[in-house]
Amino acid sequence: MTVLEIETLVRKASVSAVRWRNRVSHAETHRPSELLATLKEQGFRVAVSVPDSWLGQLLVEIENDPDMTLIRATHEEEALAIACGSRLGGVRTVMLIQNVGLTTMGAGMVSLAQRCQFPLLILVSFRGSPDDPVYYHIPKGRVTEPVLQAMGLRYARVNGAEPIGPQVEKAAANAEESSQPFVLLTSQRDTRW
Amino acid sequence: MNPTRPTREDYYGALADCLPDDALVVTSLGNASYLWACVLDRPENFYVEDAMGLTLPLALGLAVAQPGRKVVGVEGDGGLVMHLGALVTLGAVQPRNLTILLMQNRVHAASGGQPVTNPKLDLADLARSAGLTQTENVGTVEEFRKAFESVFSGDGSSLLALQVEPDIPVVEPPFPLNPVVIKHRFMEAIGAPRYVPLTFGKGRLVEPE
Repeated sequence: MTVLEIETLVRKASVSAVRWRNRVSHAETHRPSELLATLKEQGFRVAVSVPDSWLGQLLVEIENDPDMTLIRATHEEEALAIACGSRLGGVRTVMLIQNVGLTTMGAGMVSLAQRCQFPLLILVSFRGSPDDPVYYHIPKGRVTEPVLQAMGLRYARVNGAEPIGPQVEKAAANAEESSQPFVLLTSQRDTRW
Repeated sequence: MNPTRPTREDYYGALADCLPDDALVVTSLGNASYLWACVLDRPENFYVEDAMGLTLPLALGLAVAQPGRKVVGVEGDGGLVMHLGALVTLGAVQPRNLTILLMQNRVHAASGGQPVTNPKLDLADLARSAGLTQTENVGTVEEFRKAFESVFSGDGSSLLALQVEPDIPVVEPPFPLNPVVIKHRFMEAIGAPRYVPLTFGKGRLVEPE
């Protein structure tokens, strides 16, 4: 066997290994299911939402779940107030919105949720991020993190290489431990059913 | 302007008479909260001292979370139209235990009495269009007592639009309304579960003993 033939075999084996790894990666747990299962396991009983195309079916799954109540709000600031009321009533509450909502809920965020220290988990579709094929979302993606920083909100971006469940659990715990809302920026793969 | 409209204090006096001890009350900014704190401060009150327009949706969330308790939300006409969508959401959700008392004074009283955008709105009609069936415009304290006892004793979401004289001078609350203290006092009074932090992310909401 020549050196060239050996190199070719090694290259083919390497390509196969990458394909195998990718195959395994694609066969991982369905992330939106894992996300919902984690919310339930953590005792979230009320979800308040304003639609986003990445969230559509996940919201239906929540709506159909006998252990959870979904409230479909008309506006993100309104959704925030509903969530604060629900948390005031002693129920762990999650919001599901698109990132544009972070720009429309500013007043309620600072003067209600932050001032009264409501621990809420806010799952936010990070539209306009580089992996978003819909280009008109880019302006919203551009300002998302600066807006979060300006409002002094704690936040994290989901790490796509790691399971989603523990990341949701940590975000929820952070909200409770700090008595403040916590924003988890999610990708399409995390929430699109 | 009708000079015979009752004052906020008139309505609050009647509300204090009619209100069951275990009912939860959420009041909006300005005198809606300050005067209620003077008339009947109790742990089951939550005063939304700022956040205009968000009292109705907050009361809605509270009613959903506490289905076994009656909830009263006191909102103003200016606050309502600032987040009119919340009325639509209320019409869609319709918890069985929520009554909204809408103080229609036709001005932004808390900011000095500027007129609201459309003072002629029929708010009971608006609520009916949003899907509520139990709605009524109320012009006297006696009408209010009757209407409140009727909707409050039944099931469903309701909205009473109370015609009220504007009260521009700011009422001094009996004590500073520290929002975090008020929140904790409220949650303790309703027996809300408390978050118990445990090391390494295993914290849980735990029912009070």
